[in-house]
Amino acid sequence: MATEHQRTADGDTDDDASPPLGVSIAAAAVAAGVLLPVLWLFRTGLSVGLTESLALLTRPTTLQVFVNSAVLVVLSTAACVLIGVPLAYLTVRTDIPFRRFWTVMVSLPLVIPSYVGAFAFVSAFGPQGGFQRLLAPLGVAKIPEIYGLQGSVLILTLYTYPYVYITARASLKSMDTTLIDAARTLEHDRWETFRRVTLPQIRPAVAAGALLSGLYVLADFGTPSIMRYDVFTRVIFVEFGSFGRDTAILLSLQLVAVTVFILWLEARVRGEERTTAGGRSRATVSLGRWRYLAMGFAALIAGLALVVPVAILLSWVGTGSASVNQSLAFQWSYVSNSVLVAAAAAAVAVVAGLPVAYLSARYDGILPATFERISYVGYAVPGVVLGLALVYFGSQYATPIYQTLYLLVFAYVIRFLPQSVGSLRASFLSVDPSLPEAARTLGQTSAGAFRHVTLPLVAPGLFGGAALVFLTTMKELPATLLLRPSGFTTLVTHIWTAYESGYFGQAAIPALVLLFVSGLSMLVILRQEGYDVK
Amino acid sequence: MDGASGTSGGPSRRRFLEAAAAAGIIGVAGCNTPGSDGTATETSTATPAAESSEQIGSGRSPFGDRTVSGVSMSEMPDLSGELTLYSGRGEALVGELISYIEDLYPDLTVRPLYNNAAELVSQLETEGQNSPGDVFYSVNAGALGALENRGRTQSLPQDVLEFVPQNFRADSGAWIGTSGRARSVPYNTDVLSASDVPTDIMSFPDESAFEDGFGWAPTYSSFQAFITAMRLLEGESATREWLTGMQELGASQYGDEFQVARAVADGEISAGLTNHYYIQRVLARRGLSAPVRTAFTQNDAGAIFNVAGACVLDTAADTTLAANFVRHLLSAEAQDYFARTTFEYPLVPAVEPIGRLPTIDELNPPEEIDLSQLSDLEATIDLLRETGVL
Repeated sequence: MATEHQRTADGDTDDDASPPLGVSIAAAAVAAGVLLPVLWLFRTGLSVGLTESLALLTRPTTLQVFVNSAVLVVLSTAACVLIGVPLAYLTVRTDIPFRRFWTVMVSLPLVIPSYVGAFAFVSAFGPQGGFQRLLAPLGVAKIPEIYGLQGSVLILTLYTYPYVYITARASLKSMDTTLIDAARTLEHDRWETFRRVTLPQIRPAVAAGALLSGLYVLADFGTPSIMRYDVFTRVIFVEFGSFGRDTAILLSLQLVAVTVFILWLEARVRGEERTTAGGRSRATVSLGRWRYLAMGFAALIAGLALVVPVAILLSWVGTGSASVNQSLAFQWSYVSNSVLVAAAAAAVAVVAGLPVAYLSARYDGILPATFERISYVGYAVPGVVLGLALVYFGSQYATPIYQTLYLLVFAYVIRFLPQSVGSLRASFLSVDPSLPEAARTLGQTSAGAFRHVTLPLVAPGLFGGAALVFLTTMKELPATLLLRPSGFTTLVTHIWTAYESGYFGQAAIPALVLLFVSGLSMLVILRQEGYDVK
Repeated sequence: MDGASGTSGGPSRRRFLEAAAAAGIIGVAGCNTPGSDGTATETSTATPAAESSEQIGSGRSPFGDRTVSGVSMSEMPDLSGELTLYSGRGEALVGELISYIEDLYPDLTVRPLYNNAAELVSQLETEGQNSPGDVFYSVNAGALGALENRGRTQSLPQDVLEFVPQNFRADSGAWIGTSGRARSVPYNTDVLSASDVPTDIMSFPDESAFEDGFGWAPTYSSFQAFITAMRLLEGESATREWLTGMQELGASQYGDEFQVARAVADGEISAGLTNHYYIQRVLARRGLSAPVRTAFTQNDAGAIFNVAGACVLDTAADTTLAANFVRHLLSAEAQDYFARTTFEYPLVPAVEPIGRLPTIDELNPPEEIDLSQLSDLEATIDLLRETGVL
């Protein structure tokens, strides 16, 4: 089996015993860039003092909050996998109708800020909400409670499953389908083939996506607050609100600790993950009559995640606040601002992610693994905390770029780097090392072999990673608010401005534009994959 | 009219006036058209009495159809230079006023940074002496007090401070209130009548009408200021009892007070605790038929009157410019703007509030409370945590 890659005795899989120096230095530099702001968090958090720290950490509610957070993360992540993987399979390997359309649609929930989603769902499905009022004449007196754990899981799943979807999709695209043909000739049925051939191959990618979803859920502020579910971030939020910056930072270090634990756990359970891709065939599974059911599934998910918030926002457009205030007038520059910073962040995050992902996928040892794990640290702290860390570095050591787009893009890269690293790494893992080796024997330099053989093979992962960073940057709010230049308005800061002042109708137009522009950008990104989405 | 406030009639100004007038007619920004939303009272339309009063500095409001008294911007020192404004008040609410001031003076550039007030305090704290900030504009006295406690403010000139009564500014002169917000009790008129709402906040836990139908927003700054006031007025143990009692009544938590006001109007709950203007905003959106009205408690923590305000930061590059900018927020035009756009109480006594509201003198806030005491949130947060409210 090609999935069984032989490890040499010293644990190295490449012919070079040690990683190339240039790549290592680049990866180390990226890791240092991520760690720098986090060091300030440690310094500030630890300045709180031992007595107060201990009192905070041993508060009776701490355990409850910890359990709540853990339950939320586990349930949401599991649900993300259960939705993301089938959708990826359907849109890559089957003949689902309008495949490209659904590929874009089911990726788009990523750009909806989860607090907007949560707010819309409460308005629609809350007690006395629009949905309840709609059903009341039909004799439905009570719909299931939206607040609490179930609501939080619902919202966070709907808006974070695309992490699993996009990484799993990239992996499925670069998968060697001849294996599936082989399994089918061995008289495995479809499910058996999926379980025994496809699943092991896409497992690293699904794990990477699930990790991104889980950590996002852990660090999300808005949803649990609107859903009235008490988690870590809510405690941090309270602390910031009462001017306890240092205590808030100390509490976010708890989040970092939990993240480190999750990362360790994930590394332990992901096990043997080297898979290889060779020739690709474009054979797809014919679903027959089931294709419409498959489409229904995609439509249901995208519909819930996209239509509910948009419909709720639109329902407020007509409520009389149409010409409120000049500050709320929509300007097209918001679109170009959003696209500009998101594209810059995506490009930089992919370039910075390459050495880290390559090293950790191709070389064993402490350093490559450490660099890769470090790249997740910035993702684990809430955006406002990371934003403050960069406020510190910007104002103290980099005044010329403070409150400029350069520092803002840097912040995005630190926040979202693991999205490109995770996606790239899964792709590198699926490249058979014998292919670049073959190129070397044909006279290519190692850089040449990388460019002409490895890079085209990891292209889906590369653009998948770029898409993830792009879409999440499109919706990033807390760090943007802290680091943007004066007068720099993006679609999301504009949505926030309207939302925060209660002008919900005014949030509808930019939200629709955000969806439309992100959808278009997704198409452009998908085209770059080098072959048709079909 | 003497047109005292009708100073620079440049094109940008005119465009602005038209926009402001349009907003007023639609009745969202300013609810001065009783037909559209019904929240206006006779104080909001230009009354003959107001028009005949020939006070110095009175003139037509640039933001809507009424006459306002007070000191016009045209009588204030000109502003010139560059000013970095850290604004904890939303751009949707104050952006128009800021650009109005900027448009008045060709040599003035305002660089506003909008964010949540508490986060701006964290940002200023993190930037330290390298902060580019000149003026901080806050939604509440708490954030201003927090900055004062961190030594990040500069005293305002006496003639600026004197614009508002003494209880609406820091004794030290470190900050000044620019508009006011009263604590209030929104109640659903389908379920309760005005007389069902007790006038004593401390008796709320005994009120069976509130059972399983009461909402509050414990993470919201104004709620925490209210609990702080209760701690100071009634003592720690009475406050703890009150919090426990309200929980036993089944009080539901909301993310912020606008959500509470909306939930009351929706009938999701029958009453709650919010700042007064949230109810006005719901009414402005939904019209007078929305079953929500405002009740006030008397002379207790439930009746505290907080302010939005501004201070000059210690890092201000041009202190005079910064102080004069704050002065402009106290002009007749700005005070009228607050009443009209945000449904707040003007703090300059010459300017009347707009909406279905009692005047500032008819409110009964507790006299023993000083606004700067409300920034002492630490013990409040501890108490809220101990009782499991947070």
